Amino acid sequence: MIAIYVCAVIAVYAALRVITERNTMRKLPFLNVVSFAVTGIIALLIPHPLTIAAAAAFFVGTTFESNAIASTWSGGMKGNG
Amino acid sequence: MMYGFEPEFIVGLFILVAGTIAVAFPRPKIYIIRLINLEIPGFGLLLIMLSLNEALALFTFGAISVLSTFIFVRVIQKREVAS
Amino acid sequence: MDEIVMGACVLLVLIGTFSAIFWRDPFDKLISLSVMIAGIFPFIVDRGYLDVAVALALITPLSTLFILMVCPGREPS
Repeated sequence: MIAIYVCAVIAVYAALRVITERNTMRKLPFLNVVSFAVTGIIALLIPHPLTIAAAAAFFVGTTFESNAIASTWSGGMKGNG
Repeated sequence: MMYGFEPEFIVGLFILVAGTIAVAFPRPKIYIIRLINLEIPGFGLLLIMLSLNEALALFTFGAISVLSTFIFVRVIQKREVAS
Repeated sequence: MDEIVMGACVLLVLIGTFSAIFWRDPFDKLISLSVMIAGIFPFIVDRGYLDVAVALALITPLSTLFILMVCPGREPS
């Protein structure tokens, strides 16, 4: 029961670090930390065998989104997309 | 449970009102900022649907929101080319 | 859901909302929007709608990807 509390505290701390950071490039690792912590919360929330599938889908989706933001920031979509 | 409502309902109403004000008065008055602000009341409406146990409405609204975002992106791109 | 986890998720949603409204750069707004979406998902899973959560987690990043098509890219500093 202590694991989900640790995940919740990590999620709130990383979200506070995201909004207090001035540089946009330094926000992206903390966005990944928020995603990992919320994945842990989803996996530990209810005792059901399909919960791990939801956690995996959320992990894939949010990592894809974060990588798309970082790739577009460095001008990736303009050259080859 | 606060004041007889679920916390999803109260948070959803708050996000809906705040996001609607943000869409109506965007800070830099350009179309991209307005389009990004349009995502916020959509998720507020999603939370309200969740608190009323409407699973099929949740799924359909999530799918159609992405489709309408794509159409708005096409419209903004055409307007940038024309101007 | 436990009160501490529910409070953390509500705090995550409110932080993401206000941060998405008050930043001025499109990339900052998209990052804050991602934090807000991450706060919404434990509420969906707690109700037991796991299929809706799976579908929504795979559909929602496409919206961000479509918005990124009109954001101007910039050189890394």
